[in-house]
Amino acid sequence: MHCSKLKAGALALALLMVGGAAFAQVNTGAANFATYVALGDSLTAGYSNGSINERFQRNSYPALIYRQATGKTTGFEQPLVSAPGLPGALRLTGLFPTMISPTPGAGQPLNLNLQRPYNNLAVPGASLHDLLTKTHSTSPTDPTDLVLRGLGGGTTQLQQALLLKPTFVTLWIGNNDALAAATSGVAIEGVTLTPAAQFDTEYRAVVNAITVTGGVKQLAVANIPDVTSIPFVTTIPRFLVNPRTNQLVRDPGGNPIPLIGPDGPLQAGDFVLLTASAELGAGRGIPVAFGGSGVPLSNNAVLSAAEAAVIKTHVDAYNATIRTVANEKGAAFVDANAVLRNIATSGLRIGGISYSSAFLTGGIFGYDGVHPTPLGYAYVANLFIDAINANYGGDIPEVDLYPFVFGPLPSATAAISTGKASSGDFTQYVFTPEARRNLLLSLSVPQWIVDGTKAPRKPRHPRG
Amino acid sequence: MHRRGGLLGGALSVVTLVTLAAAPLHAAGFSIFEQGSKATGMAGAFTAQADDPSLLFYNAGGLAFVEKTGVSGGFTWIRSTKADFQGAAPFPGPNYSAKQETLSEFPPHLYWVQPLTASWKFGLGIETPFGLTTSWENPNQFAGRFLSTKASLQAFDINPTLGWQVTPTFGIGVGGIVRVSKVELNRHIAAINPFTLMAADVGNLNLTSDYTKNSYGFNVGILHRWNESFSWGLSYRSKISVDYDGSARVTQISSGNPTFDAIVGTQIPFGKKLPVETSIDYPDQASLGLAFALTRDLLLETDFNYTGWSSFKSVPINFTGGPGESLPDTSLPQDWKNSYSYRAGLRWTTSPASQWRFGLVYDKTPQPEEGVSPLLPDADRTGYCIGYGRTTGFKYDIGLMYLDFKKRTKNEFRASEGPFLGTYKTQAVLLGVTLNY
Repeated sequence: MHCSKLKAGALALALLMVGGAAFAQVNTGAANFATYVALGDSLTAGYSNGSINERFQRNSYPALIYRQATGKTTGFEQPLVSAPGLPGALRLTGLFPTMISPTPGAGQPLNLNLQRPYNNLAVPGASLHDLLTKTHSTSPTDPTDLVLRGLGGGTTQLQQALLLKPTFVTLWIGNNDALAAATSGVAIEGVTLTPAAQFDTEYRAVVNAITVTGGVKQLAVANIPDVTSIPFVTTIPRFLVNPRTNQLVRDPGGNPIPLIGPDGPLQAGDFVLLTASAELGAGRGIPVAFGGSGVPLSNNAVLSAAEAAVIKTHVDAYNATIRTVANEKGAAFVDANAVLRNIATSGLRIGGISYSSAFLTGGIFGYDGVHPTPLGYAYVANLFIDAINANYGGDIPEVDLYPFVFGPLPSATAAISTGKASSGDFTQYVFTPEARRNLLLSLSVPQWIVDGTKAPRKPRHPRG
Repeated sequence: MHRRGGLLGGALSVVTLVTLAAAPLHAAGFSIFEQGSKATGMAGAFTAQADDPSLLFYNAGGLAFVEKTGVSGGFTWIRSTKADFQGAAPFPGPNYSAKQETLSEFPPHLYWVQPLTASWKFGLGIETPFGLTTSWENPNQFAGRFLSTKASLQAFDINPTLGWQVTPTFGIGVGGIVRVSKVELNRHIAAINPFTLMAADVGNLNLTSDYTKNSYGFNVGILHRWNESFSWGLSYRSKISVDYDGSARVTQISSGNPTFDAIVGTQIPFGKKLPVETSIDYPDQASLGLAFALTRDLLLETDFNYTGWSSFKSVPINFTGGPGESLPDTSLPQDWKNSYSYRAGLRWTTSPASQWRFGLVYDKTPQPEEGVSPLLPDADRTGYCIGYGRTTGFKYDIGLMYLDFKKRTKNEFRASEGPFLGTYKTQAVLLGVTLNY
């Protein structure tokens, strides 16, 4: 009974009679969406399942905000890439064992010849510093050129945004300033973590460029989630699990068996990253007495409590900056940190359906364990819409979640596997080597960490 | 006593018969105030009259004035003419609408009143004071199916009562109530299919209680026929807590993916009878009625009703089976508020053998906005009534009520359910028919 025929007919008739005017009546309050530009990283680009893919881009949160605020589905340009995306979107190809691999092939850019900057200028992998300085790709997997296209002889995200003379800007940046430290299990200030003082300086520089130089008075910003809210970090327990029963293995004293990390048995507060699954599958991190090799998990596979604490301190500092600047500028503010923490703790219910931050079975995060599903992005869009309405006195309707809950989504392609459900192993999430490499690179993990080569001497973001 | 037991037995079998028809949702929450067609014709403004056997429900004080044996029985045919839902963003969205199945239910009433002495009277009533049926069309596609597809509740009161005529104008009645009740809940269970990362229907949960037997309460009433042109009455029916035992069963729904289905099968005990307990704290109800004879033929009564719905805090669902024979306990929060209704009835005696009746009722919903759900979408309501009664020879009463529910829009929701926002619109027609001997 999704929209009766009669009703659909009446609606079509109404649209025919008044044309686009029906939608022009969206009350955006003081907010003006005549030219809307979105700045950010993968989250803003609509990146999902480790891939830039039209299917997800069309439902990116900026695209949804634009659609709700203007009633139009055209006019908001994005660097669309055809299926199966760049790189091919991760998919689940089996549960016994759990196998996640990229869809073979590569998508093609669909909107490369647009004669102006895109409205959605978000570059997957971009840090705050990149927004100010980066004009070209620095590696074959870097999507900067796909988005920025060397326009004007090489311009940054920020410069291209100002070229469009926007009336409204959303800015969600800084995720990659802390995320790489989490996803690589290596927290080094100046290398995988942007120093807080630098973040403060550069964030103010970006916002001032938008509001002062660009003269854009209308802005919505979001802060940075805790890395411990995402399944990439929270899925694998630090104790040994019997894959057959999905229960913790216990010693004769009834105590669970900690996995072995680079600094010995894992302690409370240590996290085993999703990418450790391959090592665990090979027996690493598991004591010899319990059938493992006794070889510790690699440093990249473990986020220690100390590293997590360092990251949290940085994220808290970034968020203090974001909140302060939002207040100073009168910007709409989305507390993504609180929302994601709440979902990680309590889950999310929609019409009696329980969603959670769980990997594979939560419905909020995709196969990369970091980026939301289309439903997750639609939820984010509604957070922005609520914040914009509250700040600018509008009444922009929230995104209708029905198609995100029940489908169909545009060009749905679900990989269906018919593995046998015998004595299955549901806890070993095995990324194929290719999937793991794509994933880590896409998460801004420095290549030297991904490939296990030597660390460079210089920090990536020199101060000042 | 023997005779009473026999009658009680007979009454019970009547209960058993009529329970085959579920009683529906109407009158303030799920209370059904239409327990006699004479009263229904006057919108239930009957507390200060209480002059036919339905007094056992409306005001036991009226029993004191009974002068001869009376038996009266009938039903109220409740038929919904509209029970629609229009969705709103964010879920299930403005493009979604749904309907409930058309209801057609027949909650019965049966009364016997008997003078014992000049001042002591006995009465036995069987009433259906509470009932609920919500049943959504196309339940397998209904967007709210993870909240409720079909719910029903039936409650019958067996109500022996004693009346004492204290003075020629003042009567008191006291009764005991045995509440026989049953509930049924149905909904779908969802899980996230890891191959699509979207919600899938994995099971159909049916929860059915047995009939309860050990729930007791009481009622009291006073009626003061002050003089020829004025009377007043006060009636109270107590709160009754009912504990239900029953069983739940989950039927697996295939997702089309055998791997996923197999995993789900390891988590939910499909096809097994799972013992379950629940309880409902039914509210107390009080009515104050004032009746004025405007002329020799015209009588006006105005009533004020109170229902202590704040007793209806939640419906706990506790699974009592061992491992593999239970599901996680849950609770359906309700947090209702006490509610009030205002009733006015006009009785026009057109001849010694016939009466016309008219009535108007405004009934405030006890349900907070965040509690409105497909399981029980309640709303403020206005009822317009007309009735006719034949008071000699073949005696009968007919009462007709058109019940218009105010549009109920839900914007607030509980985090434990998540949004299911939109507007409910309900209309119903009630036709009461009662035969009197």
